[in-house]
Amino acid sequence: MPPIITIQNVTKEFKVLNRREGLKGSLKDLFSRDYKIVRAVDNISMNIEQGEIVGYLGPNGAGKSTTIKMMTGVLEPTSGEILVGGNVPYKNRTKNAQEIGVVFGQRSQLWWALPLIESFKLLKDIYQIADRDYENMLEMYRSLADIEPLLHKPVRQMSLGQRTLSDILAAFLHNPKIVFLDEPTIGLDVSMKSKIRELIHALNKEKNTTVILTTHDMGDVDALCRRIVIIDKGKMLYDNDIEHLKGFFGSYRTLKIRVDGILSERAEEVKAQLPDFSVSADEEWISVLVDEERAAVMEVLNQLQSSFDIRDMQLEEISTEDVIKKIYEEGVE
Amino acid sequence: MKLKKYLSLTRAGIIESLQFRLATVIMVIGNLLYLIVVYFLWKSIYASAETDVVNGMTFTDTLIYLVLATALFNFMEMYTVWEMGRNIQSGKIVLDLLKPMEYRRYLFWSYSGSFVTQFFFTFLPTFIVVSVVTHGAVPLGINLLFFAVSVVLAVLINYSIDFIVGTICLYTESIWGINIMKQVIVLLLSGATVPIAFFPEPLKTVVYYLPFQSIYNAPLTLLLNGSPTPETVFEILGTQLLWCIGMTLLGKLFWKLSLRQITVNGG
Repeated sequence: MPPIITIQNVTKEFKVLNRREGLKGSLKDLFSRDYKIVRAVDNISMNIEQGEIVGYLGPNGAGKSTTIKMMTGVLEPTSGEILVGGNVPYKNRTKNAQEIGVVFGQRSQLWWALPLIESFKLLKDIYQIADRDYENMLEMYRSLADIEPLLHKPVRQMSLGQRTLSDILAAFLHNPKIVFLDEPTIGLDVSMKSKIRELIHALNKEKNTTVILTTHDMGDVDALCRRIVIIDKGKMLYDNDIEHLKGFFGSYRTLKIRVDGILSERAEEVKAQLPDFSVSADEEWISVLVDEERAAVMEVLNQLQSSFDIRDMQLEEISTEDVIKKIYEEGVE
Repeated sequence: MKLKKYLSLTRAGIIESLQFRLATVIMVIGNLLYLIVVYFLWKSIYASAETDVVNGMTFTDTLIYLVLATALFNFMEMYTVWEMGRNIQSGKIVLDLLKPMEYRRYLFWSYSGSFVTQFFFTFLPTFIVVSVVTHGAVPLGINLLFFAVSVVLAVLINYSIDFIVGTICLYTESIWGINIMKQVIVLLLSGATVPIAFFPEPLKTVVYYLPFQSIYNAPLTLLLNGSPTPETVFEILGTQLLWCIGMTLLGKLFWKLSLRQITVNGG
């Protein structure tokens, strides 16, 4: 079976006006033809198979949304080719729309003033979903989540979590081949986050829907994705299994300890004891970045405990941002 | 099946507009205040004119015309420009573009629900009140049929103009000024605030060659004329039809070109 999405050497450039400073500059800008080219996406290639959940990561402004907009057909690539379910998205946007579902964490596609069930009925007619498929889908939704109280609630009265949940259900309603989720768990509490993750996982399983997920939350990635793609400044940095990535970076953890006294001075003492690791101090904590291939965290902790009176401690996994930063600085061999 | 998806949007629009009961009440009150101002303004105009008939219209004629124009305005104004501008600024337009439906149609049918409610809640009551109060000054006959056809065409022309102005928002990213300008131009040149009979001769000629008079002047002329000649009806409806087709095509073309601009250069 051919991949559901093929992206080949895709580049997207934007023309941006060079803005000048001050009032005089602003007046000059009115007549300026001084454009600069910004390359938002730079020569990206990937294939995505039907049924995959792919985590699409990168810092803010890395080009994630631009790539997604190109896959949905809202933007046309400057060069390169994109095929989504056999369509060129920007040429057949309406046809492509029938095959995809989209959730933007910050915005809702639901009808604000209407109860959720009315939005569903509307989507049913807009996407021309057959009665039986629609009933089956609702039946499945009922088995996956407690949607009964939501169905008759106007969307504007919903909490952010309920709204996000509803938006995700709405995106899957016409049984699309691909669903794009742009930061679906942004701003949600822990229990809602896990509910949303379970839901996405179940929907992907049931219908073998391909899911492209952008997020800043490593928890989403761990819970859902087997494969991740990382981009920064428009360039693709990494495209592989998540285990593979953890092999590189999972061995780093941050040990944080709290001791009495002036932390910056004590940090110097810690540094003297642990010359191999990077040590830093802020207002509350002394942080030690431990490479577990060299020494176990427990050993380091024991060593520190023998010479310091440790009041409190924390252990932090390395964050997505750290991983990306590390990849960007050091590359992937 | 094909029509169903559009009617479904109409249905949702009706439910949606019925949710905001208070807004309807306030709008009715606002209109009453406006009409009171109109009443006294024209009363003093006629008082100072020293004749009963000014520019071929009596005071009652003028008042009936303006009251119905206001009712028609409430029913036809869709605030498309606002909606498009807001969606463009907030980026929500991306979600609308991703519906498997042409955006122009999607927007129109989303609004069609409020046509239905506004027709029944503002236009029809106003019309009945005017008919009763003026003791049959409004003819009730074949003109109602012509009027109905004319209103449908007027709605389409009005929407097309709104859509074109809304598309301009893609470039300017500001809504307020453009919308106000559009509203003033349309309301003045269409004969919604001042009957076209009162316009000076040169302006009258210009106005007849513009699309705006097809929105308010045309349906109201057909409605208030009890025994129109077939030529008049044909001329008015024909002009409307031409403008309807022309503006629709223009709007479609402009949107297509603009959309291409966005997909190439980002929103």
